[in-house]
Amino acid sequence: MAARRLGGSSWQQMSLLSRRWCLQAGSAGKREQNRYSSSSTTLEKTVENSEVTREEIVLPRRKTWDKLAVLQALASTVNRDPTAAHYMFQDDPFLMPRNTANSRLLSLSKESGRSAAKYIIKEFPQYFDKTTSEPNIPCLMPENLTPQIEGVSEAALKERIHLRRVKASVDLFDQLLQAGSPVSLETTNSLLDLLCFYGDGESAQEKQNEQKGDLEEPEENTSEQRSPKRQFQKSLNSSGFRWRENNNAERIFKIMPERNAHSYCTMIRGMVKHGAPAKAYDMYTDLLNERHKADVHTFNALIRAVPYLKEKFAERWALVKDFLNHMVQQEVQPNVLTFNAVLKTLRRCGGVGRGVSLSVIQEMTALDIEPSLATYEHLLHIFYRSVELQPSTIIAEILEEVEKRSFTPQDPDDANFFPTAMQACCDLKDIKLAYRLNKSMEKGDNWKFLDMDRLNAYWSKFFSLLCMMEQIDVVLKWYKEMTPSLFYPSTRSMFDLLQALDAANHLEVIPSVWEDIKQLGFSRKQDLLEELLSLMSREEHPEETQLAFAKCAEDIKAAHEQSGRDQAPLEWTGSALGHVVVLFSRAGRTQDAWNMMEHFQQINRIPTLLLVWPKEALMLPSHVGAPVSIWGTGKGEESSF
Amino acid sequence: MGRFGDSRVSPSLSPQVVSWSRSCAPPALGAHRDLHTTPVCFKTRAARVRVGKGDKPVTYEQAHAPHYIAHRKGWLSLHTGNLDGEAGAAERTVEDVFLRKFLYGTFPGCLANEVVLKRRANLLVICLVVLQNLAPSKLYFLIGYSETLLSHFYKCPVRLEVQTVPTKVIYKYL
Repeated sequence: MAARRLGGSSWQQMSLLSRRWCLQAGSAGKREQNRYSSSSTTLEKTVENSEVTREEIVLPRRKTWDKLAVLQALASTVNRDPTAAHYMFQDDPFLMPRNTANSRLLSLSKESGRSAAKYIIKEFPQYFDKTTSEPNIPCLMPENLTPQIEGVSEAALKERIHLRRVKASVDLFDQLLQAGSPVSLETTNSLLDLLCFYGDGESAQEKQNEQKGDLEEPEENTSEQRSPKRQFQKSLNSSGFRWRENNNAERIFKIMPERNAHSYCTMIRGMVKHGAPAKAYDMYTDLLNERHKADVHTFNALIRAVPYLKEKFAERWALVKDFLNHMVQQEVQPNVLTFNAVLKTLRRCGGVGRGVSLSVIQEMTALDIEPSLATYEHLLHIFYRSVELQPSTIIAEILEEVEKRSFTPQDPDDANFFPTAMQACCDLKDIKLAYRLNKSMEKGDNWKFLDMDRLNAYWSKFFSLLCMMEQIDVVLKWYKEMTPSLFYPSTRSMFDLLQALDAANHLEVIPSVWEDIKQLGFSRKQDLLEELLSLMSREEHPEETQLAFAKCAEDIKAAHEQSGRDQAPLEWTGSALGHVVVLFSRAGRTQDAWNMMEHFQQINRIPTLLLVWPKEALMLPSHVGAPVSIWGTGKGEESSF
Repeated sequence: MGRFGDSRVSPSLSPQVVSWSRSCAPPALGAHRDLHTTPVCFKTRAARVRVGKGDKPVTYEQAHAPHYIAHRKGWLSLHTGNLDGEAGAAERTVEDVFLRKFLYGTFPGCLANEVVLKRRANLLVICLVVLQNLAPSKLYFLIGYSETLLSHFYKCPVRLEVQTVPTKVIYKYL
């Protein structure tokens, strides 16, 4: 896919340029011929001819090739291999992942191997610091993360802040204050930045060092009940730290002799990040009282926190407008993140939000701010994911905007655009929009917004939409191209595929679908097996298909009977058994069919199939005693005759 | 199993030397001048698996003697250090020895054959044939670990290309 993307445009350019060159060369050649031919004519004519043919020779402009042009041209000849797994996996059947869970497991295990190596390199840097490469490659050298400056001084504090050592810097700060030496405002501000960023918890490295000893935090978290606050911190803060009362940041803030705007702003942003929106609002009022000016990031954080400050939709919108007016008063220029925060808040404002969001977009364009993908994602959410779906054509306009250019990441929510858009296409059941969306994803850098999980979600939804809307041969073509390179089908996708095959009456493909199901590891999913069996046994099919179906039925029987290492054996249901019997008898394997009949007794069910398919019943060998024994126990759920 | 340090790049020297006895030395001073000797290493016995009773399984690599290199065998280590005017052959050899020992220890009991090392410009490609003893996730852990550790150690990008095989591929029994 990368090849197609990179090579497409430049290859066309090259061919166009080469054609122009040929044309130029051709015309120059013709002129040459004219001159030659004119020289062979009589003398009187030569003078005129030379004047006529003395046209300007237009030299074509020198082409400058990109450094990578040759490589791109070569790459354009190689298409994406539809049978290969993702590049990070080894190309070996034993090592290729089978389904989504497996691919995540393998990529995570590779990553954990890498972090194990990094741990070794950190622990023993003396073996890795010889510079044998010329020039030196800094990313392959061990990092020096221990603070160099010892002693209690401001420079030492600055160094520890730079190395992100939260606890050490707080201790050093306290020591400095106790020793009586004042700490400059700038250093205090950077210390506050560090504390607010990490929320008074530890940074990742310190967490690693203290993993065994530190049991306080998890205990606190588990003792709390599920409250809205926890949901809030989950949404706003991924590290899971709560803003405790009177923690280090607040304490240092209170004892600061002088504070400037930066201190207030940092505190506000930290509070919003770690789940204390009310405090953030109070801090903001303090800042206004002190006649300071907040910066744009603070306003963004405050706008994001609005849904947790007010409950009613209209109040939320009023508060947002308030903040925006303050921004204007304090002459703070909004940026794209501001508008994204506004739209994110409007997502939770219901009908009010829908009415206002378009004017927000107009404001954005008036201020000449380019919308990012997150803007569009919020818009889609506002218009398409609410409870009452009102018809709207905004998605077509959004797609038009997105198709035009390749985006750069500006907002963490950008990554959700493509899955949300595909979900909207699925809800609207519009396949053309989905194709356009695919094209826009392939343009430029847009594919980089999808990581492995989102890729899987995106393509799964696209595949369900395809199964619903398109002809079966298109569906099968996409299926062959997409699995296993782009996504691993889930049970849901296999159901959709079976439904599509059923609708198109194309059931002879089912044995190969069964092979895929086995490879994906879904051969123990009861409902999928039932669906397969019922589809296979519903009607009569030509001879080879019946034989193939009987083979599938045998596989399914084997799957039921074998029990894995720690899995209970699959239970037979009455209908499944019935279908298997029918399939065996249709293929002429009457002995197998009779063996299956005996299973009915084991699971205490009564077969009803003989009523539905009397032909098959006649084919079964007539054992005189056996029928009596099967139907004698009769403790079944299905009522028979 | 092939012996380690058995790189094809430098063939072993094997002079046959007889050690001089001490009785020739002047006894008064007590100082000796002996000739330093090595144990005997016949070149006719290098990298060859001796024929036995017919129960010793041997891979293709092991079954062929060194004079079959470039005829029936390829090289295990490919680099340009031995070409005319190129330097660094000795360093490459030492690196090879370390890499083979490292991989033998990191993939315990899993290597089905000798490791093939290919150097292309700055990149070091290590090709392994691995038995399917370990679960795939464990293999990927070891692959990620080796790649990162060796990159940092040798200051060059290192890539592992792994192929798995259910059992060792036996060529014949000697």
